[in-house]
Amino acid sequence: MLKDIFITPFADMIDAPDFLLQVLWEGLVSGILYALIALGFVLIFRSSRIFNFAQGIMVVFAALTLVGLHAFGVPAWISVILTLGVMFGLAVSIERIVLRPLVGQPDIILFMATIGITLFLIGFGEIIFGGENKVMITEELGIPTDSVLLEPWGGLLILEEKDITAVAVAALLVIALLAFLNKTRMGRAIRALGDDHQAALSVGISLQTVWVLVWFIAGIIALVTGIAWGARAGVSFALEVIAYKALPVLMLGGLESITGAIIGGLLIGLSEKLFEIYWGQPLLGGNTETWFAFVLALIVLLFRPQGLFGERIIERV
Amino acid sequence: MKHFTKLAIAAAVAGVTAGAAMAQELYTPNLAYRTGPFAATGIPLMNGQADYLNMLNARDGGIGGIMINAEECETGYSTEKGVECYEKTKGKAIVTQPWSTGITLQVLPKTNVDEIPILAPGYGFSPMMEGTTFQWAFNAPSGYWDGADMIVQYLESQGDLSGKTIAFLHLDHPYGKEPIPVFEKMAGDKGFTFEPIPVGLKEMQNQSAQWLQIRRMRPDYVVMWGWGAMNAGAITEAVKTKFPMENMIGVWWSGHDADLAIVGDKGKGYKSISWSFPNMDAPVMADIKKHVVDAGKSQSNDTEMQGVFYGRGIVISAVLAEGIAAAQAEYGTAEITAAQLRWGLENINMTEERINELGLTGMVAPFSTSCSNHTGHSGGWMLEWDGAKFVKVSDHLTPNVASYQELANTKAAEYAEANAPWPTNENCGG
Repeated sequence: MLKDIFITPFADMIDAPDFLLQVLWEGLVSGILYALIALGFVLIFRSSRIFNFAQGIMVVFAALTLVGLHAFGVPAWISVILTLGVMFGLAVSIERIVLRPLVGQPDIILFMATIGITLFLIGFGEIIFGGENKVMITEELGIPTDSVLLEPWGGLLILEEKDITAVAVAALLVIALLAFLNKTRMGRAIRALGDDHQAALSVGISLQTVWVLVWFIAGIIALVTGIAWGARAGVSFALEVIAYKALPVLMLGGLESITGAIIGGLLIGLSEKLFEIYWGQPLLGGNTETWFAFVLALIVLLFRPQGLFGERIIERV
Repeated sequence: MKHFTKLAIAAAVAGVTAGAAMAQELYTPNLAYRTGPFAATGIPLMNGQADYLNMLNARDGGIGGIMINAEECETGYSTEKGVECYEKTKGKAIVTQPWSTGITLQVLPKTNVDEIPILAPGYGFSPMMEGTTFQWAFNAPSGYWDGADMIVQYLESQGDLSGKTIAFLHLDHPYGKEPIPVFEKMAGDKGFTFEPIPVGLKEMQNQSAQWLQIRRMRPDYVVMWGWGAMNAGAITEAVKTKFPMENMIGVWWSGHDADLAIVGDKGKGYKSISWSFPNMDAPVMADIKKHVVDAGKSQSNDTEMQGVFYGRGIVISAVLAEGIAAAQAEYGTAEITAAQLRWGLENINMTEERINELGLTGMVAPFSTSCSNHTGHSGGWMLEWDGAKFVKVSDHLTPNVASYQELANTKAAEYAEANAPWPTNENCGG
């Protein structure tokens, strides 16, 4: 048994390095997509202390809008722009109708409000788009769909071009977001609100504008995530469950940390894949991905309750 | 916009059925799932079911002169909501259609007490075939164990299975685990290696780990027991990992046109065992078009109506309608009770002639049920995706029920013992 845990997995990795590379690549692809979803949560939490339960359904809504518009004959890239417009409209509506009346209410009330937004978007989305599985307009968007076959060490490494595109776009989006948050006036306003609400308001930062902006950015992230996941298995309401994969990322990385979301996502994507392939499947019958990330996050929380990169909250009594 | 129209139609139909509820009617609630992660597969099935019964209402004034009220109760495929729907509808229901193996397992003991037949065509708990123990449960025309047997039969027809490996990619859910005992038995009998690979609900759309396992295992065949987004996820990964499509076979719930449309030509060769087949030339389709579609009462569309799942929905409602008709003839009343419907479901005789008479030509194979045989074991056909649609690639396959009858009896007895006191029907002659 000890051999199966401590020796065999590593021997397997050395024995088939091409396969190990494949596992790492799949982990990287999953990880960067988890990080992207987690970023949507973090941005909203940082600026408003709201845990946005609706992030998952926003992924579905954005992807369905894109595919739905294209089905009406709108060219693919115009559909993307119009979808961004819809996500902006959604952000404005959420701020005006849901959040603004709740300013100053306890965090739990705002959290409950995002559950309400989720339920509304599910119902509204089903009325508008129906519940059928739809094909993502991958090729129409110019995303390549072939595979790159490499033969490292005489083995086989399959890289899907759409996965490469997803990783590249996600990485670019993350870099752009970091630049926006650190180098622009509005980005600094978002960070200021996250650091100290009262102080930020006292220097004239508009809460309403920042909230619209972060919800819109979360909408952009939702659209990119929706395209990447939708290209894998179609667009349906099942995409919503993908958002739950971001929860352990947030536990691990910390709810306020953008760096935490990125590193946490990659760490969970890679480790859950390695564990599943080399320990989970041979020793535990597989399907460990459903719980491994949560266990890993819980172990981290035992030692760092604020997550790896979260802010330590000290409350004096 | 078209979905707004559909909503209006649904509201109008609901209004009509609610109005009908005041008058004499047979209440056959459907625990439907048009929402949630499995909606994509649920919608065409529910549409097929509803359209057939609406057609009977419009064309024949119902069944035996009494209108059918097939009200839907939305479960989202959630077991908890399914049980709530069962409790909500059981008062005047003459049948319950749980639409999920999880919900079926939960309501199975309740129906025995409430004395309402469960109709779970092609799903549910496979030992339900043993009617002596499961007096109130029916899964005709075919059960999961029939499907497992027919898949193995088909694979054997392609070559000896001894020494071969079959990977079993399945949803980690009661549904996905249902055929495992029969596959394990057949693996022992026929000398092949059987390797179950579970897929969690949250992993349905990202099965890279499962397909890495398949790549490492190098199985000769992959048999899939998938549902909803899992099917499209698996087929996409199979294409990506270059697994030979012709060596991948799904159960009937893994043979949905919309899932394969995502991969299109790359999915050519993928197979699915099925006890139903869509036939646009069947007379029933013309009747549905005339009385339901043209009357603006359908929620379906042309593409969906040509698919396997819509056709299967029609067959499922036809099975129910045959049970009702049989009971009405036996008891001499149109307004039958749940107990009388149980008799009807035990006495369905779908001969080739009857299938043609119902206008279902080519859509289902002949079968019959009895007091002790609640599945019917119609058998089915191996379908293959040709890049645009499913086509038949086998003659009619018949399950070798005798090979797992003993297992069914054992599992049924175990179930009865675990749920004692469990009334059985010892008067079953056959």
